[in-house]
Amino acid sequence: MAVADIINWILVIVGQILIAIGVMCDLIAAILMIRFPNFYVRLHALTIGSIGGAVVPIVGAALIAIGSPFLGAYRWFLAGAGIVTAMMIYILGAVGSHAIARAAHRSRAAILSPCYVDHLAKDRGEGSCI
Amino acid sequence: MELETWVSTFLVYATVIFVVSFLLYLVRIVKGPTIPDRVIAVDALGFDLAAFLIVLSILLRSPILVVCAVALSLWIYALDIYIAKYLESKELGE
Repeated sequence: MAVADIINWILVIVGQILIAIGVMCDLIAAILMIRFPNFYVRLHALTIGSIGGAVVPIVGAALIAIGSPFLGAYRWFLAGAGIVTAMMIYILGAVGSHAIARAAHRSRAAILSPCYVDHLAKDRGEGSCI
Repeated sequence: MELETWVSTFLVYATVIFVVSFLLYLVRIVKGPTIPDRVIAVDALGFDLAAFLIVLSILLRSPILVVCAVALSLWIYALDIYIAKYLESKELGE
């Protein structure tokens, strides 16, 4: 087995471990998205699904693409665009979830159903639980 | 074992779990009680679809599919910002 083959196998195995972690995060996030009680708790499932379930498998797929010569010369294109996509999701997922959470709290669009305390609404003088 | 069959076999199993989790996200999109609930379910579904597209481009041997993943992740971010602006000021802007 040549040295290039060994490097390809190492890249593929590392990429497959990352894809396995990502797929598990994805399944867990989908289950939690159904099981969690209200919007603000479901934000936790959203970030599991977007960072653990999208960034990690995209980086893993890029590593698999680097180590797979059967994809042809375009595999470098796939790897580069995959890493760029992973970086974009890493930044934009967090920014988007913050924006939607802030808007939902300010406009009272989300139902806060098991509500124990809401300090942010209390500071604005809107009562602690609405 | 050959490298190509090893990669393909693994990615077929990963595809099955991806599709199962997409169906579970669809449950929340359909029955979510308020608009933000639906939006965050669409959000997670869209980012995972981008990951699924890249996995699919390795599985189908067509690396050009990755362009769709870049555009899809940017559209999901645009959806977030539009819905946040709509919820705060009840209008979508110019």
